[in-house]
Amino acid sequence: MENPYVPYPVEVIKIVTEVDTKDIKTFRLAFVNKEDEEKFKYLPGQFAELSLFGKGESPIGIASSPTNPGYVEFTVQKAGVVTTALHEMEEGTIMGIRGPLGNSWPLEYLEGKNVVVVGGGFAFTTLRSLTQYMIHEDNRKKYGKITVIYGARTPGLLIYKDELAAWSKRDDLELHVTVDKGDENWKGKEGFVPTVCKEVAPSADNAVAVICGPPIMIRFTLPVFFELGFSKENIYTSLEMRMKCGIGKCGRCNVGSKYVCKDGPVFSLAELDRLTPEY
Amino acid sequence: MEKRLIKKDALAGIPKKIRENFTVFAPVKVEDNVVFKELEPQEEPLVGHYQNTKNAPKGVFFPRTEVMMRYVRTPKGVQLKGIEMAAADAVLFGVRPCDARSFALLDLLFDQEKYKDPYYIAKREKATVVTLACARVPYRTCFCTSVEGGPLDGKGSDVLITDLGTDFLVEFLTPKGEKLGSYFEGTPASEEAEKKKEEVKQKAEGEIVSHIPAREIKPILDVNFDHPFWDTIHKKCLACGTCTYLCPTCHCFDISDEMKYDDGRRLRNWDSCMYPLFTKETSGHNPRPTQKERWRQRTMHKFKYYVDNFNAIACVGCGRCVMYCPVNIDIRKIVEDISKLQ
Ligand SMILES: Cc1cc2nc3c(=O)[nH]c(=O)nc-3n(C[C@H](O)[C@H](O)[C@H](O)COP(=O)(O)OP(=O)(O)OC[C@H]3O[C@@H](n4cnc5c(N)ncnc54)[C@H](O)[C@@H]3O)c2cc1C
Ligand code: SF4
Ligand code: SF4
Ligand code: FES
Repeated sequence: MENPYVPYPVEVIKIVTEVDTKDIKTFRLAFVNKEDEEKFKYLPGQFAELSLFGKGESPIGIASSPTNPGYVEFTVQKAGVVTTALHEMEEGTIMGIRGPLGNSWPLEYLEGKNVVVVGGGFAFTTLRSLTQYMIHEDNRKKYGKITVIYGARTPGLLIYKDELAAWSKRDDLELHVTVDKGDENWKGKEGFVPTVCKEVAPSADNAVAVICGPPIMIRFTLPVFFELGFSKENIYTSLEMRMKCGIGKCGRCNVGSKYVCKDGPVFSLAELDRLTPEY
Repeated sequence: MEKRLIKKDALAGIPKKIRENFTVFAPVKVEDNVVFKELEPQEEPLVGHYQNTKNAPKGVFFPRTEVMMRYVRTPKGVQLKGIEMAAADAVLFGVRPCDARSFALLDLLFDQEKYKDPYYIAKREKATVVTLACARVPYRTCFCTSVEGGPLDGKGSDVLITDLGTDFLVEFLTPKGEKLGSYFEGTPASEEAEKKKEEVKQKAEGEIVSHIPAREIKPILDVNFDHPFWDTIHKKCLACGTCTYLCPTCHCFDISDEMKYDDGRRLRNWDSCMYPLFTKETSGHNPRPTQKERWRQRTMHKFKYYVDNFNAIACVGCGRCVMYCPVNIDIRKIVEDISKLQ
């Protein structure tokens, strides 16, 4: 019998400090055993338990896309025991990952539609995965117009800066990067994500919005999309709850009768309306 | 399915005979408690002369603390050393029907199509459950008949033993149970015995004095997540967790790591939705910030969410939480009150 609690061994092959506050890092992990990579077949929107023996486990969204094989990436904010231990790790360390867990962004549903990706702060991780996936040459023609709106508090807090620069040069993706407040070197947009969404005003016609960010951003962004005519069936987000098992057993992460770890973390607003508002 | 009658005085010797070939778990008197535990050589199992054990026998398959894996520090990081999954051929002797039913309910969760829990399943598969029916209903707090069980119910059991007064009727309900056949020497049961059992059943069911509208409240719970009723039940709750730790169907757990010098282990321990930290996130945000939300979760989980997911009520009516709650919060009354909500 498969033991879903046993992590696959992975080697930390690259660590990137993403922000000037140094508390958000991206870890690139490679499977120690090739056959484990086969078993770890994932889709954008899924997450994994990052496992540090002696410290514990943390559920973290997968930030890379399966269209880039050979490694998986996670962008982690230093918060408590496990994430702090992760931040202290060096390249070459062997650690564990367990997964992939949860459902994914609704990739099939998105096919043939225009996709509006909205992210705030470091919650941009699985949206980066989704964007990488959609703009990959094998997939790009399956999707209509792709608009990405991404914001952070300051320029120094934007993650994936090099990649954003590369995306801004593409003509098959409309990118809007904004910061709440710029600095002397900032030449881009200033303003909160909801305001920028209003300015950009993506058409709701045959379109789906995928939104991830801090609760306050979500709260102010949703009305903008309702106003633009997006229905609750066509707005998706990803939930966070405290987790342990990640497979619907430990009873910790339920919202109503759904387990966020197993039935989520991705839900449409219409689905969330049918759940209890306890998250 | 074979049925046999055995002499009344033969029963007491059986668990000890089984113990020669199996690990046996049975009710044993320890100080002033009757607990369900592994039978040690010098110990006398209680058969027939007990009401129910203080702890639920679920701990045989889902222990309070269990090592999941061990690891060791190496120059390249801490690495897996071994996976712990000891499971012996075991016989659980003298389980009550409500508790046997809890195994069937836990199977629904731990043995799902996708994501099987190998620790639970390994122990469960190697165990045979011998149940002693409640010919006399043990407590006034028993309400198994309200939650789809009954004092002579065989769900979750491999062998069911019923006291018919003169003899014990032994029913082998599953192939696993039949394998224990040789330990139960007796004569084939006649139709007479079947009739007698029906009488015992009628009588036992009649002795049950607690009744709750368990299925009936499901549609009420479906639409009353925000009802002011939820402000009324939790106020005296101490968040001690006793109700969940004694409950045969509660299955929540925590996973934690322990390291000493270069060796460590990953454990799972029972946890409880009654505890404030259960859902508290690192940021400080807690989706269930007060005991109100936690009690609502406990009620909803048993009488709505489990029904939504598995079409089964996650309560077997054993009454343990009713008997041992230090401040007398009574799930029977809660369910009764919910049934009257507008
Ligand atoms: C689906 C999902 C995706 C996530 N993706 C990311 C991500 O991409 N990047 C990132 O930095 N963070 C992410 N988080 C949050 C991250 O899991 C927590 O910050 C992290 O678990 C804190 O662990 P810790 O050991 O450092 O903190 P401690 O407070 O020491 O943690 C105790 C334990 O509680 C649990 N826990 C605590 N807070 C949370 C939480 N908010 N969510 C889930 N479990 C929690 C974990 O099991 C953790 O090991 C995600 C959470 C979920 C549920
Ligand atoms: S909720 Fe109470 S009565 Fe029901 S099974 Fe659990 S302990 Fe027994
Ligand atoms: S046993 Fe009683 S006091 Fe303790 S957590 Fe349960 S309801 Fe609260
Ligand atoms: S994390 Fe254990 S049930 Fe979801």
